[in-house]
Amino acid sequence: MNKQRHYSIERKQAKWGFLFTVPCLVFFALFSFYPIINAFVTSFTNRQAIARTSRFIGFENYVYLFTKDNGGFSLGNSIRATLTFTLGTFIPMVVISLLLAALMMQLRRPSHRGFFEISFYMPAVLSSVVAASIWMILFDPRGLVNQFSNWLFMTSGKDFKWLTNDTMLQWSTMIVYFWKYIGYFVILFLTGLASIPSTIYEAAIVDGSSRWHTFWRITLPLLKPTVVLVSIMAMLQCLKTFSTQYMFVQNGAARQPIDVITMNIYFTGVRNGKLGRASAMSIVLFVIMLLLTYLQFATTKSDDVEY
Amino acid sequence: MKKGLILLLSLLLLVPAVFAQGSKEAEEDNAPVTIEFWTHEDVNRQQLEDRYIQEFETAHPNVTVNVTRQSAEKMIELVQTSFAAGKGPTMFNLSVNDEYPYIVAGRVAPMDYAAAGYKDAKDVISKYMDNTLAPVTYKGEVYGLPLELTNWSIYINKKVFRDAGLDPEKDYPKTWEDMVTISQKLVKRDGDVLTRRGYDFRYKYYLENCVPMVEQLGGQLISDDGKEAIIGKDAWVKWLTYMQQWGPNGLNLGSPTYTAARKLFNKDNNDIAMCSTGLYQEARIKADNPKFYESGEWMVVPYPTFKDAKKDVAACFYGHYYMVNADADKKTQKAAWQLISYMLSHGEEYLETTQVIQPTKTLMEGETFKNMPYSKVFKDDMARGHMVYYGAASTAIQAALDTAIKQVMLQNVSAEDAYTELKATCQELIDEQ
Repeated sequence: MNKQRHYSIERKQAKWGFLFTVPCLVFFALFSFYPIINAFVTSFTNRQAIARTSRFIGFENYVYLFTKDNGGFSLGNSIRATLTFTLGTFIPMVVISLLLAALMMQLRRPSHRGFFEISFYMPAVLSSVVAASIWMILFDPRGLVNQFSNWLFMTSGKDFKWLTNDTMLQWSTMIVYFWKYIGYFVILFLTGLASIPSTIYEAAIVDGSSRWHTFWRITLPLLKPTVVLVSIMAMLQCLKTFSTQYMFVQNGAARQPIDVITMNIYFTGVRNGKLGRASAMSIVLFVIMLLLTYLQFATTKSDDVEY
Repeated sequence: MKKGLILLLSLLLLVPAVFAQGSKEAEEDNAPVTIEFWTHEDVNRQQLEDRYIQEFETAHPNVTVNVTRQSAEKMIELVQTSFAAGKGPTMFNLSVNDEYPYIVAGRVAPMDYAAAGYKDAKDVISKYMDNTLAPVTYKGEVYGLPLELTNWSIYINKKVFRDAGLDPEKDYPKTWEDMVTISQKLVKRDGDVLTRRGYDFRYKYYLENCVPMVEQLGGQLISDDGKEAIIGKDAWVKWLTYMQQWGPNGLNLGSPTYTAARKLFNKDNNDIAMCSTGLYQEARIKADNPKFYESGEWMVVPYPTFKDAKKDVAACFYGHYYMVNADADKKTQKAAWQLISYMLSHGEEYLETTQVIQPTKTLMEGETFKNMPYSKVFKDDMARGHMVYYGAASTAIQAALDTAIKQVMLQNVSAEDAYTELKATCQELIDEQ
């Protein structure tokens, strides 16, 4: 007796859904998952870039990274530099991009909003190297930023040391990153804001709610999933920052104050050829990212918002 | 008789086989060969080399040469990552301190002497100036041939000197102390901001340009037995103090964050008076600013020494050597050495056109070199100098020196503290080898 199988519509949809995600899964497996596994395995070896052989050394790379100086560029300093940069960049970026998006939503003419959307988003299209190069010229002692600082503080010929003072150097990298990516997150917030039904705002107006009250009591709670998404994305992106710091160092800035983990990975692996050690660093970064993402999820528990 | 006939017939039978073998070899010789050639950018050199490659391809129709050019700094990373991925270029050139680890790791092939037109290692070495092949000689074999050997002396813009009321012919700096006092006279500022510098160092290249300063004071980078790093505390601290004074937190005469002095020099924009660079800069001035080159308003003077120098040492010389990938098959290796040899057989033209020195005895003792402006200054400085430090950790040591310099110049770290950290770091790097 021939038994005919019957699939529910959901199962059929799920089957097609799975089929459509296969290319993406394959891509992810090849270009993300495989390198992660590879880095994990390499982190337990003494692999060097140009050596033909390598051997298993257990946790030696990890022990080294947490106890030694790594040629003057310790992992501890890199973790400090990365966390300083991340905290100093992603929190203002999330807050200000949200405010800008909320302000832009107030613009009635779509053309006006479009103009600001393009203006804010434009730097995100630039390559990071180009962006950093432009800012290097601006931060030069004879550059516009120093001149503006002199005008602002009513001084003359003062070198504000945007590239030479440790603290100013860290601020400089944060400013470049903030300028480059703020538009991207503004667009994400605008999308989130646009998805809130206008009827809710209309009801609030009828009930006599002020704009300030509406923002805090309606917009923000309904935007929570977008806020969580944007803050996690911004944080992860900041943790992975590389080109800004790299370009600054290439142009003569001191490495130690801005030696973020990714840059240390690059110098250890590519410049000094210590691939095993660099892989161990990348695993440490991976764990930090995982932990911080988990923490953020756990503390911001976003309930599904339904309109 | 019968036996003789059989032998003769047998030999005749072998003849086609022998010829067949010969034609097979000829066929193999003519089989297509592709050479991936990676080199650093230099506009003047590129024109020459493109022509040599074209000529070589015409003479060897089975050989195709693909050239990749990148900045010297980028090339270091590209070559390393490609070797790490098991797919390096057939032939390449890097600075010797970056190339040496490839020899030790067995990633580059010893010379195919016959293909390059030499009898053996001894024959090649005898054709080059003393010790210039030492960094690429390992276990009796030569692994590379120099595309260029460079040392740096001091270029001076006479106009800037005169503008500051100095006579360049008499007042040029003979000592590092002079360098400070003269730079103080040459420098122009808008408040704290430098608008004209006297001299500025070539930051990043400390092994070449700064280690000799320490050696003048009696210090040493690595001990002769290779076991101890950063020797002679007084010398190192004195040098670090000198650099601290040079920087923005001292006398404010220069900084690593300003545009490289060498890049500004050719423009003759009254923003730099002196810079450290090699003979090749003459060709670059000529190409970038012929008017300035022809004006005779520039000159080259020897590398200074400290007043109380214990040793007379000039800037280290460094070489870019052509090397061949050991993973390439023998035939490709042979073709690569033939190409290298063909290109390097034009040493005189390289010198005339690009002012790149290939340190063969013929060239260095020839009239062309002698007639180059200021070639004597470079030759004399070369005699006072030595080959730059090369070893498996040279890149990391260069980075450690960079940290120490920036600590004292930009980060207000004391010279003593920077020395202590530098010593510990370099020692760790040496111990790791």
